[in-house]
Amino acid sequence: MKSNNRVNPPRRLADMIYEELFHQVPFNVAVIDRNYNVVEANKNFTEYFGNWKNKKCYAVYKKLKKPCKDCPSVEVFKKGKPIVADAVGVDQHGRKTHYVGHVFPLRIKEGGRVEYALEMTHTVTETDRWQQEYQILFDRVPCYITVIGEDYRIVRANEAFRNNFGEVLGQHCYKVYKRRTTKCPNCPAAKTFRDGRVHHSTQLGMGKRGQDINYAVSTTPLMRGSDNIAHVIEISNDITALKKLEHQVIEAERLGAVGQTVAGLAHSIKNILMGLEGGKYIVSLGLNKNDKEMISEGWEMLERNFEKTTSLVKDFLSFSKGRLPQLKMIKPGFLVKEIVDLYKDIAAQSGIELRSEIDKNVKSAPLDPDGIHTCLTNLVSNAIDACLMGKQKGTEVLIKVSEGRDKLIFEVSDNGSGIDYEIKKKIFTTFFTTKGGEGTGLGLLTTRKIVQEHGGKILVDSEKGSGARFRMEFPRKRLMALYKEMK
Amino acid sequence: MGPKVLIIDDEADVIKYLTVVLKSNGFLPYSINSVKDAKAVVEKINPDLICLDIMMPEETGISFYAKLKRDKNLRSIPVIIISGVVQAGEFDFRSYLSDNSIPPPEHFLEKPINVEEFIGIINKLIKSGNFPKSGGNS
Repeated sequence: MKSNNRVNPPRRLADMIYEELFHQVPFNVAVIDRNYNVVEANKNFTEYFGNWKNKKCYAVYKKLKKPCKDCPSVEVFKKGKPIVADAVGVDQHGRKTHYVGHVFPLRIKEGGRVEYALEMTHTVTETDRWQQEYQILFDRVPCYITVIGEDYRIVRANEAFRNNFGEVLGQHCYKVYKRRTTKCPNCPAAKTFRDGRVHHSTQLGMGKRGQDINYAVSTTPLMRGSDNIAHVIEISNDITALKKLEHQVIEAERLGAVGQTVAGLAHSIKNILMGLEGGKYIVSLGLNKNDKEMISEGWEMLERNFEKTTSLVKDFLSFSKGRLPQLKMIKPGFLVKEIVDLYKDIAAQSGIELRSEIDKNVKSAPLDPDGIHTCLTNLVSNAIDACLMGKQKGTEVLIKVSEGRDKLIFEVSDNGSGIDYEIKKKIFTTFFTTKGGEGTGLGLLTTRKIVQEHGGKILVDSEKGSGARFRMEFPRKRLMALYKEMK
Repeated sequence: MGPKVLIIDDEADVIKYLTVVLKSNGFLPYSINSVKDAKAVVEKINPDLICLDIMMPEETGISFYAKLKRDKNLRSIPVIIISGVVQAGEFDFRSYLSDNSIPPPEHFLEKPINVEEFIGIINKLIKSGNFPKSGGNS
């Protein structure tokens, strides 16, 4: 036999390499048998965990007296496949240590059972762990995060962002978010670069598949020690679903308004029908009795109610006629003053004080002066009407104009109360007429319509025994958009 | 002289119509166009039945109804509410008044009325006669 000819066979190069690798590899390597005995380990392992000879693995890794409950090697013996696991152990100096282990099955015969487990572990410091956790947080947090440089190029983007906007590193944010070739007007990141503060805004962007993405973005400066803001972090929440819901709510409101319009109209028509029926009854009774006076009385009644029909139809047509608001830049406080001048005396005669509160911060706004005048007139005359019901002293109607978060707010409130007031308020809010035979009940509907044409909404707030408050809200952005469109 | 019926409605045409209908059916109609002095009028004429509208300026028919039913001398007078506010089948009296001690009105009619139905209901309510005249001990 060939081998017998050599007394001291030279070490094979491959063996030398393997041995060197085994000891120099920057891992703690150990081989465990099926009885938890450490049968081999490299230098790194020995330096880190101390003496291992004739010891059980759990005694070496964790200084325990019995096997660990979640032993990864047991898993490898059982399933024959490599696994990765992390664990907390104790080094040879008794210090707690975090490590990640890669465990591989070793078989003596190919296809045979797993005889040994090869464990390669590397320790992880607290900083490493934090970094890993931050990375996971950055990628998995359910919002879009990007970091933008002063040149508006994206330097980092999290997984959620990349999933929806694509791989975007190095590209301009405006191109990625909105497919623009120039910076966006009112860019919140630009504001943060300028003043170092947090800014918020809502935006409409475009995803990688061309889909609309509504998002609420907050920008915050990223400063590393110096005063210079080199980067801005943009954190955005996808509010596309919310926007859809909002749209559905507006649609439902619109349909609700249609229903109320029909109910209000039906009420007016029923009153007229009663008059027509009455006229018809009196005329036919007069004919039966040959009573001329009765016939003419009935006829007059018919005529009156036909006229009422005509004026109702006219009112209704003018209400239903769509009209774009004629927007002019005006001071909202001016409109309020006008209404106060107009109604002050009428209110005072009924013992009601009509007051106004005009917030100094309210800036000019593009409004249709005639339209808003109509709205305020309707609301104030309703409020005065409501106060008259209460009959108590010290009633007042207050018109307020103020600036909300990006919106202009008009408020008309009264402090009337009492049973009749409550009943009327209940009917008010469903938009019926309360003015005997005069009104057609379209006042509040018209108001709502004008407000909606301005892109705003009207809210009614009334609690039992505490008067009512009508609030018209006009988002500044929508007003400006309408104004630009009109121009 | 037939039974006395008081009409309370702010619409002149409604008063005229109901007056003619009642008169030609053998009733003695009275009318007022607001709830303002209605209680005094009721006490004075002592009607056998009241036709009451809901939506009137200053005071609603509902609040007058509540006042009437709280008065032990007047509460036995039957009341027909005649209104165009809601449909007859949908009139939910309880939603207008939180006072549960007040019974719902004897009848609700939707404008415009059907004359035959109207007269039939009045006759039935007056004939049921289980209500002593005002001024008596209830």
